[in-house]
Amino acid sequence: MSILLTEEQELIGQSAREFAKEYLDPIAAELDHTGQFPAAIVKQLAAQDFLGLFVASEYGGAEAGYVSLVEVVENLSRSSAAVASILVNHSLAAYAIQRWGDAAQKQAFLPALAAGGTLGGFAVFEHGPTPGVGPNALIATKHAAGWALKGTKAYVRNAGAADVYVVLACTDPAAGAKAQAAFIVPAKAIGLSVGPLAETMGLKGCPVADLVFDDVVIADSALLGGPTDGQTITTETLALASVAEAAQTAGIGQAAVEHAAAYSKTRVQFGRPIATLQAIQTLLAETAADCHLARLGLRCAAKLMDDGEPFLVEAAMVKQFLARNGAKLLIDTVQVEGGFGYSEFMPLPRLFRDIAGTTLLDAPADYPEKTIAAALLA
Amino acid sequence: MPKLLVCYKWVLNEQDIKIRPDDLSLDTSRAKGKISDFDRNAIEEASLIVEQQGGTVDALSYGTSAVKQSVKDVLSRGPNRLLWVGDPSAEEADAYVIASVLAAAIRKNGPYDLILCGEGSSDMFYQQIPARLAALLDLPCLTFVQKMTLEGGAVTALRKLGDCTEQVSVTGPAVVSVLSEINKPRIPSLKQVLGAAKKPSEEIPIASLGLTPEELAPKAVRKSPKGFLMNRKNVVYKESDAAANVAKLVASLAAEGLR
Amino acid sequence: MAATFIFSEDAALARQLLTPALALGQPVVALTTDPAEAQTLASLGAGRVLLLKAAATSPEALAPAIAELLAKEQASVVLVGGTLRGKHLAAHVAAALKAGLTTDAKALALVDGKLETQRILYAGLAVSAEVVTLPAVATIPQRTFLAPAPAAQAGTVESVEVAADTRVSVLNVTPMESEGVDITAAIKLVSVGRGFAQKADLALARELGAVLKAELACTRGIAEDEHWLPIERYIGISGQTVKPELYLAVGLSGQVQHMVGCRESKVIVAINKDEQAPIFEAADYGIVGDLYTVLPLLTAALKN
Repeated sequence: MSILLTEEQELIGQSAREFAKEYLDPIAAELDHTGQFPAAIVKQLAAQDFLGLFVASEYGGAEAGYVSLVEVVENLSRSSAAVASILVNHSLAAYAIQRWGDAAQKQAFLPALAAGGTLGGFAVFEHGPTPGVGPNALIATKHAAGWALKGTKAYVRNAGAADVYVVLACTDPAAGAKAQAAFIVPAKAIGLSVGPLAETMGLKGCPVADLVFDDVVIADSALLGGPTDGQTITTETLALASVAEAAQTAGIGQAAVEHAAAYSKTRVQFGRPIATLQAIQTLLAETAADCHLARLGLRCAAKLMDDGEPFLVEAAMVKQFLARNGAKLLIDTVQVEGGFGYSEFMPLPRLFRDIAGTTLLDAPADYPEKTIAAALLA
Repeated sequence: MPKLLVCYKWVLNEQDIKIRPDDLSLDTSRAKGKISDFDRNAIEEASLIVEQQGGTVDALSYGTSAVKQSVKDVLSRGPNRLLWVGDPSAEEADAYVIASVLAAAIRKNGPYDLILCGEGSSDMFYQQIPARLAALLDLPCLTFVQKMTLEGGAVTALRKLGDCTEQVSVTGPAVVSVLSEINKPRIPSLKQVLGAAKKPSEEIPIASLGLTPEELAPKAVRKSPKGFLMNRKNVVYKESDAAANVAKLVASLAAEGLR
Repeated sequence: MAATFIFSEDAALARQLLTPALALGQPVVALTTDPAEAQTLASLGAGRVLLLKAAATSPEALAPAIAELLAKEQASVVLVGGTLRGKHLAAHVAAALKAGLTTDAKALALVDGKLETQRILYAGLAVSAEVVTLPAVATIPQRTFLAPAPAAQAGTVESVEVAADTRVSVLNVTPMESEGVDITAAIKLVSVGRGFAQKADLALARELGAVLKAELACTRGIAEDEHWLPIERYIGISGQTVKPELYLAVGLSGQVQHMVGCRESKVIVAINKDEQAPIFEAADYGIVGDLYTVLPLLTAALKN
């Protein structure tokens, strides 16, 4: 791996691994049981500069780039993908504001986001049809004081814990896809409430809920980018999400294959450790290889981001690969561990549920195949 | 403003070392390097002192060329500058050679107000370097320190010995070796990692230290380390019925004459 | 004539050092600061005993003086008791004599004019021989050797005035609380680790120990971090080394740093709820199960 990482990136990964072992390993199983937002852990993430990873140093960020981000996310995910999800979703808000914000918005939000005093969320999805394609569930209407937001956003991660959300709304239902705008909305905005927390299959501890906007009035200065930039902002930010979630998936897969490999050396059947059986070796080898290849793919996409190059196609490729193979990583490792692996006091069931989350969520507005095919067939 | 030096060793991670089953020789091919565990405590202690009261910390190491890999790792943990001696002689060096080299480097770059070391390295655990350095440099030495303060040029320390704790103090430059319980080494933050590249590091060519060939030849030569393999019966009772397991164990203990 | 010098501030350990010293075949000279011990050492085989008289008598304070004395005497082998103070002294002496030093030597022999020793490396993972040119120094841990039988002829005792190193001020010395129990002498041990949730639960281990007639021991964490048991009961690379007939490890994972202290036990038994814990690889017999269930059952079964 050192051929693809700089010394700093390796050390950053090392710090994240040490952090995960010390602070996340002891609480990962319990967090999965209680689903209680781990506020103390988030403070510790901030102390390590993890919440401002790619934020420019002029705003107090570490300016460490996106390869560093995926290194941190993967290493945290090897211990707790739920905690990594909190970091990832916070990072989406920070990314959108850094990328499209004007000087005033960046100054107003980035320092607190980087220092961890403010936690971010990215509210894009809806219960109904995909935003921009059909009727929108969150409408933004021009108002004397700026804009009035009315409606609902669904499946918002970090909902309730976040202090600020980047929200996608439709400014003209008649124009549909052509009238999507992004707004920066503080959690404390009057009329904004958080729906009941969803009970998700996995990644428990990263809260998920609807955001309900009951005529939330925000200033003009809350508009992020131009009035029709919403679609672009969403597509690109979700591409970052694809890359970051791929890192989560690789981390979960890595943890699973290491656990299963260690287990197979001690589990004796037919008079010898099952690690000696070809069937077991095949399952482990395929899992290890898939993790490795996914890791290389997502690092490549992250490196393109570091270099300011287009990365949407590469992000889609990694998303698509893991949508197919992600769950297989856990199906196979649970198979290796058999009855033991199936028990809840072992880590694999949690990893199984978590990887379902990191592989299926946050599909870009277009399915990944469409993005890739469009580039191929252009 | 105190000028501190901390010595550290870049060692193989012993958890990556495998024992070859046929001849019990050690396979270190997959072993990655790391800062020796107790040296992290020494680096942390030196950095804390200087972060609290000002001053500088030089980190110093003698190793093979592999020691270059340690530079940013160490600098991300607090020291201001790193000095290193990289030479093949380090491969077979014993504590006699290591102390000779470190002492020569310290004479060249000192004087220092305080020299800190870990209690011993995680690979060889000689527990010799601190007292050897002190003898070679004619400095007082405080070993096995659990807690310490540096104030106005005086070191006060609590030593933890097998059967007692001893409070000691010394004025003027001294060598101190620290125990792992003295502090909890930081996990470097991202900014600390990225800041390491901006700090100076310097290779000290071994030829510039004026050491004699005798000083570079080990007096204690390691011969053929062999892995220690536990050769036990490994009989494990793991029925779901605890009473059944207990009954079997009791029978085994009786058979061994240990009831 | 080439002589082997011994020193330990621990009286029992000093006597033990005589055994490997005498086995090297050279005349043995013992250094001590205790007049009563001087006589004992002379009677146990030290041909000469040098009774050191100084203002301060800790090994650290005497290090430079002892080094000077050994250089003058042209000592060929120096054996120092491997207490922490002893290790400090031995390292200083070795530096002054430009000598090699084997820490925690497990065996010694003079072969072809060099001292051959054995010691542990990599936190217990490996064992290595060391060949040390003369003059050579070695530190030897407690109870590696037994004290020798009285010699046919007692050696001489002479007093030597030496200067102590007073650069370090000793402000006070606080003895550690000791129960006075020597677990290294126990024939059976029940050893506890972090599988026990709280101090009161050690009662389960004590009850088992009572039935087995075993002493209680523990891992480093239980003694140093939790303070549930005194440090003299903890076993491991920086704790005690034991070789009982039975070592029953309960609720401890079996890390190398711990196992180094007990791996020469005759029979090792493990009770742990984690089937993958390394202890099972190091054990002769084991039960995979919750100690809270297993211990009471085991205690009851052994009572019958």
